[in-house]
Amino acid sequence: MTAAVLQLDGIVKAFGAIKAVDRVSIDVGRDEFFSLLGPSGSGKTTLLRIIAGLETPDSGRVLINGEDVTRLPPYARRLGMVFQDFLLFPHRTVAENVAFPLKMQGAAPAERQRQLDWVLDLVHLSGLEARFPHQLSGGQKQRVALARGLVSRPSVLLLDEPLANLDRELRKEMEIEVRRFQIELGIPFIYVTHNQEEALTMSDRMAVMNRGMLEQVGPKLELYEKPRTGFVAAFVGSANRLQGEIRGIEGTVARIDWGGSEIFGGAPAGAVVGDRVNYFIKSERIAIAPAAAAPMAEGHTRLAAKLRDVIFKGQYSDYIVALDGGSELVVSGPPALEGLKPRAEVVLHWAAEAADVFAAEAT
Amino acid sequence: MSVVETARVSTLGRLWMNRQLRFACLTLPGALFILLFMVAPLMSIVVFSFWRTESYNLISDWNLDNYRVLLGDPTYLTFLWRSTVMAVAVSVICLIYAYPVAYLIAKHGGRYRLILVLLTAAPFLTGIILRVTAIQHILGPIGLINMALTTFGMMPIEALMYSNVASAIGLVYLWVPFMVLAIYLSLLNFNFELLEVSKVCGARPWRAFIEVTWPLNWMGTAIGIVLVFVPTLASSVTPRFLGGVDGALYGTILAHQFGATGTWALGSAMGVVLFVLSLVVIVGIWRAVDLRRSGFTGEQA
Amino acid sequence: MAAVNPGERVMVGGQTVMLLLLYVFLYFPIFYVVYLSFMENSVWPFPPEFTLDHYALLESMSDFHEGLINSTLIGLGTGALSALFACLAVVGLLKYRSRFRAVLTVLYMSPLFVAHILIGISTLMFNRGVLGIPGNIPSTILANTTYGVAFAFLVILAQLLRYDWRLDEAAMVFGARPARTFWEVTLPNTWPALLGAFLVSFILAFNNLDISFYNLGAIPTLPTIAWGTLRHGVKPELYALASIVNALVFLVLITLYFLLRTGLVKLGHRD
Repeated sequence: MTAAVLQLDGIVKAFGAIKAVDRVSIDVGRDEFFSLLGPSGSGKTTLLRIIAGLETPDSGRVLINGEDVTRLPPYARRLGMVFQDFLLFPHRTVAENVAFPLKMQGAAPAERQRQLDWVLDLVHLSGLEARFPHQLSGGQKQRVALARGLVSRPSVLLLDEPLANLDRELRKEMEIEVRRFQIELGIPFIYVTHNQEEALTMSDRMAVMNRGMLEQVGPKLELYEKPRTGFVAAFVGSANRLQGEIRGIEGTVARIDWGGSEIFGGAPAGAVVGDRVNYFIKSERIAIAPAAAAPMAEGHTRLAAKLRDVIFKGQYSDYIVALDGGSELVVSGPPALEGLKPRAEVVLHWAAEAADVFAAEAT
Repeated sequence: MSVVETARVSTLGRLWMNRQLRFACLTLPGALFILLFMVAPLMSIVVFSFWRTESYNLISDWNLDNYRVLLGDPTYLTFLWRSTVMAVAVSVICLIYAYPVAYLIAKHGGRYRLILVLLTAAPFLTGIILRVTAIQHILGPIGLINMALTTFGMMPIEALMYSNVASAIGLVYLWVPFMVLAIYLSLLNFNFELLEVSKVCGARPWRAFIEVTWPLNWMGTAIGIVLVFVPTLASSVTPRFLGGVDGALYGTILAHQFGATGTWALGSAMGVVLFVLSLVVIVGIWRAVDLRRSGFTGEQA
Repeated sequence: MAAVNPGERVMVGGQTVMLLLLYVFLYFPIFYVVYLSFMENSVWPFPPEFTLDHYALLESMSDFHEGLINSTLIGLGTGALSALFACLAVVGLLKYRSRFRAVLTVLYMSPLFVAHILIGISTLMFNRGVLGIPGNIPSTILANTTYGVAFAFLVILAQLLRYDWRLDEAAMVFGARPARTFWEVTLPNTWPALLGAFLVSFILAFNNLDISFYNLGAIPTLPTIAWGTLRHGVKPELYALASIVNALVFLVLITLYFLLRTGLVKLGHRD
């Protein structure tokens, strides 16, 4: 395992009575694209600002390449950063904006020019050196911001929701570009976003934050397939969220009553009959078929439902089904299944292991 | 690549990281300056007002004589009263005239707003003497108006020469730009669409003004009133040159104490009274501003 | 917004008339004085008889040059000090949180509500009695700066409210120390405000009578010269003096206008 470039050790930061960051510890290695994922207010931006040096933590340490930089001002940390609103200097040309970090570090003009040419070529902005920010499109501004962050070859690049202000087409394009930069440069990117699709597309490892605390850290597939808390299960990927009560436990499988229907899932540790649980089943893990056609295995959840609507998404479709009793589920499946038209009777089924079950918190 | 060796951070730099310290270093110099060169002197005249003047020197012989003279002798009180009445009158005139003007510029000025406002404010920068001179030469006995009248065979207007009316005109001339500016700045942040709403609710124009425009802009209006009232109350130069023999106001007498007679202690007492009166008015108007009803939600800029 | 109904149109019409009358009221005396300064007969200058004698007389007045220099010095000193203090204060108040923000803002604006004559006499007595500073140009600069700071504060605050302080943060992350950040990023984007504040404080101190008079005594400034001439009855040289000063103020105002315009345009790029 490569040595960690960035280490956060027990970071705590409170604003008044509110804990924005609550005992967060993370290690990021050299070649990693690392995402900090969470809803607004989760503390991810505060954490990023602490890494950058724009905020000082109340306790905990920040280490870059083994050096404790917690008390160092931002201009001493040699990091790169890309901001959500781009924050390009309006009074400087593209070239001057991008070369700014080099100028601050006192690089010689020849050296500056070399780095400038290299990075502008990398982000495909050659030829726009003399333009001013207000003459650029959103996508171009974003690439200038990226270039400025990368030009001094920092130890770490911090990105604060950089694609949030771009329109959808551009965003998809830039997601791939940004990923490419990270791979080519081989430096760790710390990427803050609230968009879990974006995080899943671009990262190697992810951390999910909620109200200042780390819910889970790990490779993205692990967070996706094996969420360790209900919050992660709900936030990463699109899952149906059900609530029920355990009626019986056989081995590791719990039989759960969900509003009259019977569903099966892995029993959470220490669960007993009568416990209330939060039950998550990802929409692509539910198999859907016309009624009376599906085979069933022991322990398989099998529910009868009526297809209410089909939402065609191109590569797949979302099937909205309604069960007796009014509850609805979203199922993702092949784009156009035979025999599946609105108002058709359908059967849904999934294995017990496909669901993520957690003990319900007392409200 | 070691982070620390590539960036030398001095102890000064480390100190700078403390945000409170940064805030203090930036805001304190000017604050201390104001405290030392305005607040302290003002407090010192309170002290001096209890002293005595003897042959042009201040003697620290604590007594209440100055105040006894000031508040006991009807002459001084008359001047104070006259000045107060003048200040109120001038403030009211300025308010009545400035409000519609500021309203027009704020609402209908469009991209000419800056020019229009600057044009109203500009004369203020030309300095008091020149403005008084100009007014005097228009209003005075051999001024433009009266000369024009006599040339065309009409009687000169008595009231315009060396009278309180002339003083009032002069004071309005001096201070109306402040009132316009204060109300204008308030109206800039006023959402004029609220008037459309009140119209839909059935309010006629004057009612809408009283119920919506006036309260929401009261803070700016109050500031404007204070900005006009305080200097007018203290004015010495204008009444001296426009007011004529009978037109002396409190400020003129105050100035006199620092002129030929050299009675600084009495002058200090007069200054204290003037300051206290101004403060009373400011606080009074401040209390009259109920922040919530003026439309402030307390959001930080 | 165009006037919608007849009633409103009448009101706008009325207000426009009032505005025009105000301009006439404010400016006619000024222009008339300029006119007079070139006229032989300053009592009833019709028909016009052009002359430059008054200006020549002004030139020859012994005090005139000294007064001009002194006023300029006072103006420059006050402008510089005021702009400096106010700039630091506004930056501090806008960038950092503190529970003293409200109090400090009130303090910085308080000189606006104190009569100049009070400042004049109190600084005179305080400087002489307590601080032991004699009445001279530097002490007058200090006394004028008290209200100069307040005006500068307002001018700078009005502009800097629109500045995006995160640009400073970005600069710091990229390696600029605080002083460098100010020089490379903040200043280039906010200099119109600073210069504007300087000019306003300059002009106010240049033309100030009440404070300078008490603190300087016999040392002449243009306003005190004017005051002296006025006391002995209005003389035509005074009109020449007034016209020169007005020309200067006019120049400053034009500069100020373009500065504020640039400031608005520059800072208008903040999203």
